[in-house]
Amino acid sequence: MSIELRNITKQFGAVAAVNNVSFSVKEGELMALLGPSGGGKTTVLRMIAGLEEPTSGDIFIQGQRVNDLSVQQRNIGFVFQNYALFKNMNVFKNIAFGLKIKKWKRRDIKARVAELVKLLGLEGLEKRYAHQLSGGQRQRVAIARALAPKPSVLLLDEPFGAVDAKIRQELREWLVTLHHELSVTTIFVTHDQEEAMEVSNRIVIFSKGDLEQLGTPREVYEQPANEFVARFVGVMNVLEAEVKDGVARVGELQFAAGDQPDGARLRIGFRPYAVQVSPDVNLYPYRAVLIRTYFLGIMLRLEFELGSGLVLRSRMTKEEYAQLGLEDGKAVSLQIRNYRVLAAEESALPPERQSAYQPPPSIAENI
Amino acid sequence: MKCFTGVNLKTFFLVSALGIAAASSGGARDVTLLNVSYDPTRELYLEFNAAFAKHWKEKTGDTVTVKQSHGGSSKQARSVIDGLRADVVTLALAYDIDAIAERSKALPPDWQQRLPGNSSPYVSTLGFLVRKGNPKDIKDWDDLVKPGISVVTPNPKTSGVARWNYLAAWGYALKANQNDQKKAQEYVAKLYKNVPVLDSGARGATTTFIERGIGDVLINWENELLLVTRKTNPGQFEIVMPTVSILAEPAVAVIDRNVNRKGTADVARAYLEYLYSETGQEIAAKHFYRPTLESVAAKHTDTFPRLELFTVAEMFGGWQQAHRDHFTEGGSFDRIYKP
Amino acid sequence: MGGNVSRMNRDATAKSQRGTEESPLVKGLLVGVCGLFLAVFLLLPLINVFAQALAKGWQLYWASLREPDSLAAIKLTLQIAAIVVPLNTLFGVCAAWAIAKFEFRGKSLLITLIDLPFAVSPVVAGLIYVIMFGLQGYLGPWLDRHDIQIIFAVPGIALATIFVTFPFVARELIPVMQATGREQEEAALTLGAGAWRTFWHVTLPSVKWGLLYGIILCNARAMGEFGAVSVVSGHVSGVTNTMPLHVEKLYNEYQGPAAFAVASLLALLALVTLGLKTLLEWKQQREYQNAQVSATEAAVGRQPE
Repeated sequence: MSIELRNITKQFGAVAAVNNVSFSVKEGELMALLGPSGGGKTTVLRMIAGLEEPTSGDIFIQGQRVNDLSVQQRNIGFVFQNYALFKNMNVFKNIAFGLKIKKWKRRDIKARVAELVKLLGLEGLEKRYAHQLSGGQRQRVAIARALAPKPSVLLLDEPFGAVDAKIRQELREWLVTLHHELSVTTIFVTHDQEEAMEVSNRIVIFSKGDLEQLGTPREVYEQPANEFVARFVGVMNVLEAEVKDGVARVGELQFAAGDQPDGARLRIGFRPYAVQVSPDVNLYPYRAVLIRTYFLGIMLRLEFELGSGLVLRSRMTKEEYAQLGLEDGKAVSLQIRNYRVLAAEESALPPERQSAYQPPPSIAENI
Repeated sequence: MKCFTGVNLKTFFLVSALGIAAASSGGARDVTLLNVSYDPTRELYLEFNAAFAKHWKEKTGDTVTVKQSHGGSSKQARSVIDGLRADVVTLALAYDIDAIAERSKALPPDWQQRLPGNSSPYVSTLGFLVRKGNPKDIKDWDDLVKPGISVVTPNPKTSGVARWNYLAAWGYALKANQNDQKKAQEYVAKLYKNVPVLDSGARGATTTFIERGIGDVLINWENELLLVTRKTNPGQFEIVMPTVSILAEPAVAVIDRNVNRKGTADVARAYLEYLYSETGQEIAAKHFYRPTLESVAAKHTDTFPRLELFTVAEMFGGWQQAHRDHFTEGGSFDRIYKP
Repeated sequence: MGGNVSRMNRDATAKSQRGTEESPLVKGLLVGVCGLFLAVFLLLPLINVFAQALAKGWQLYWASLREPDSLAAIKLTLQIAAIVVPLNTLFGVCAAWAIAKFEFRGKSLLITLIDLPFAVSPVVAGLIYVIMFGLQGYLGPWLDRHDIQIIFAVPGIALATIFVTFPFVARELIPVMQATGREQEEAALTLGAGAWRTFWHVTLPSVKWGLLYGIILCNARAMGEFGAVSVVSGHVSGVTNTMPLHVEKLYNEYQGPAAFAVASLLALLALVTLGLKTLLEWKQQREYQNAQVSATEAAVGRQPE
């Protein structure tokens, strides 16, 4: 079902956890709320569920304003970050809990639980208790429990946050499949941009309670609304350039400055894949030396140092790497295929960090 | 949480009110009396209550059950003042019942005049307990101050009976020295030089003497001494009664307010009067309290030898005065006793 | 993340254990001293209670327990426990719930007040009620006019006992409830459960061992309380004497074996309490460990936030 938030603000004391946020989720959509911890995304999720009350603004579920409906009346399924399975009940009873409350017939409950157990691959675990299950199993029980009463909306708070990396990948694929099968409107919260990109139809990006951007994974990746989004979604080289004679310059790099006046400072961003490399040192405008190579499965991350000392990041497949005959210390030439002006007249970063942005190594590199 | 407690408290009140109502509503046939008494009278009243119940049944056909409460005499008085619903009190001192009359106004100030003998149906006095055969040949107070005699008595600062002991010795010395306070103090000082250790209570002193075998003579209530020689440790000790001793007059009274409320005034008064009857007096004597009814006392002269008895009132001007003179900070006891 | 913390703690304890391993002599000595101390000051007297109780034979033991005043004392004690324990359980659950799960003004004051009975001497606890409800007290005259008796009757004894025992359940529950958190309850709410159902099916079962533990301690103290009860009892044999008061009374009457017979019942209660307590602690420990294991598992592979 469709969900709409209109001008939602949530204050905790003097702090605004969510600041005048509006967006809507389409029927059957799988939406990710992405952002760093403390960005307000979980609070948004809890307000949709009715576990928190917005300080101001309205929430609609399929056109109906639900602000005054209690949690129980909203017919949502909620999967908690740590699953919150009922410790004192086994898997069967956990899944059946919501059905019992809805006063389903015993036979129907049995059938529905069996159906979910099968759907979620929990066969044979019905008699187990939470502490006898693995992280992934627990998570699936939590989802089965949330789905059992056929909620109109499924809300998941960091659904893969608490399982280890290997299972996480499986669970992601599985969530996509599940969503495909059930096509229930789903919103999940994550701080992992890769997860958001891979799983969701659309992403809402939050930072410090503000909605930064809403778009498809491709949109937020390729057209980040601002530097925060650009940096949060994927890796980006970010440089601060100064405009002189209609050209923005940093080191030997030059970018078209459009109609920016001389002396303006521009923040220029480009993705690693935008950096093109040739072993022919004369092919592209900038000379550089390959100083480091990181192997990340089939993809490689490369760091090039320009004559001016600037370090740029690039990435390519193993095959490309082999074709180009690259190795550490090799001299190459570079060009930058496309870039974005992220901000003008801004110097958010201290000067010494103005070389290529270096986020901590993360799986984000896989993109 | 508040609401639940509230409801339950109300039920408590109801339950307790009903309980009381049930106890008193059977006034015609079933009567319950509460006798608030002090510690050493437990056995006495256990027997007396049964005797009275029988007597009352024969006389009126009603069944009377007497409940007992025992404790320190002044603490019991305090409880009655605070609302313990005693029909009658039978306490160690008239002083304690005066306190009830004064503070709670539950009985008139002249209560002591309502029963014979200043409302003391039985009395007691202090005596000496010595080891079998009286090896130190102790006969009277004078013998206690002889060198080499070891006297066991508790600390008057902490023990009630110890104060009686102290005043008895002091009173004896006054009588022997024509009311010379100085000589009396000298005598008592000498006496306490012979006390090897001051126990804090009567019970401790008795244990010291009987079980630990310390001392030649123990000063204690006559009824307690008789209990030792006739019941608990027969054949091991002997009682020596001095020529002069102090008279303790336990007092009894009906608590008017409570009996009026419960409608038990008649039976409560009859209960106390029955203490003065021959049966009551015999039971008192049996539990080693001196009967006041002459006919009964005459029968028990070998248990209770006649001796000269003085009261705190006539010798010391009452308990409050005695307390001020002897037991307060800087009183005579502080002057004579240097541990 | 909880897992990481606990692992660090475990490392710390492991280290400190290594520290003491160096001197087994000291360890042995310490354990020996403790053992001896416990034996002399706790175990021997306890054994002595039973020895004294049975000194004059089983028959007298049995007879002293069946004596009407003893029976009345046992009955009264059970009655008081039956009134006090449910009330304090109710109060304790409410207080613990409020404190563990909600933020409100005056919370720290409430916590302090719950601890008050631990800090106050039982005699004071008793006197409070005498001052409140005694004839010379604030409410006494009014109660007297309406013929309602509080002190020197069952209500007073119950009140004093409630006062003395009320921290037990709350104190046991607060940490357990805090550790459990609110998520399970919220999960129940999202599944449509009302507050009452959530409480019975989710909150209560998840704290049941802690609750039982608190109830048992509360019960033990309620039955064993002497000081506060002594002040408000009035000591009417067969009416307002609880077991502990009755023991004292019998002892003062030189009825040693009877006193110890009743005392042995109280000692027995203590042993049963200890047994149950150990069992519950073991259960709770096991559940806690399970929770720990799952938390650690869950924490594995999780990114630092």
